[in-house]
Amino acid sequence: MTKDLLPELLSSWEDTYKKGQLTLWIFLALKDGQKYVDEIKEFIELKSNHTIHCEEQSLYRNLRKYQHIDVVAFENKKGNKGPDRKYYFLTPMGAQLLQIFIERNISLFFSTEILTLLKK
Amino acid sequence: MKALITTNLMKFTLATLLLTLLFRFGLSTSITKHLIIAVVFSAVIYAILMWFNGRYFGWKEYEYLPIYDIGFRFHLATFLSHNLISILWFVFGLQSHYEDISVIFITAGIWFVFLFIHLIYYLSIRKSTIKDLDKKDLFE
Repeated sequence: MTKDLLPELLSSWEDTYKKGQLTLWIFLALKDGQKYVDEIKEFIELKSNHTIHCEEQSLYRNLRKYQHIDVVAFENKKGNKGPDRKYYFLTPMGAQLLQIFIERNISLFFSTEILTLLKK
Repeated sequence: MKALITTNLMKFTLATLLLTLLFRFGLSTSITKHLIIAVVFSAVIYAILMWFNGRYFGWKEYEYLPIYDIGFRFHLATFLSHNLISILWFVFGLQSHYEDISVIFITAGIWFVFLFIHLIYYLSIRKSTIKDLDKKDLFE
């Protein structure tokens, strides 16, 4: 009975856990360097071991919001063959926002005590 | 302020101007010819098309950039477009002999009260936004 429930429980927890992670992954992708939407998508899916999936439309919508609040900007660059591509990057405020967010919310997972617990 | 006047809002306003023009034409013609059913028909069709107009461009607007204004910009655009066309209709003498411009002003006055309440509500919810985007919907 318990075993039967486990996948469902895990899936439910993961669904909740993943909500709110997209911003972090987009920001990490851009911290890694300027990228166009396909590259951001590829970065997120690859680096999250395919646990995070995102639609292009969702990425565009989020990037427009971040651009509107001045944490992300873009510049047009020549694509390989087709038209110009929008290469997104973090603005200084975006980089600072990510840095503070990491310090406050992510770094605590790297304390010796928590690392030990995670590895136990 | 400039960011609040979006392409979708402009398209919505243009469609509203056109629909109001057609509505006024239908209304004045029906009144002149004493076609009561056509008067009702014009109003109902106008209301339905305006609903689709708002729904279509409102949705496109939300999908593009979810500006959190509880529909105030679209309401204001409708108020201005409708009353502008209505007043111009009388200025150019296109109304029926049975129509009186005072009806336009009375309607606009009553409508303005609701628009003002909407404005107050909009200003109050702006506190929960960052650059006109809902704080709770900003990061996913």
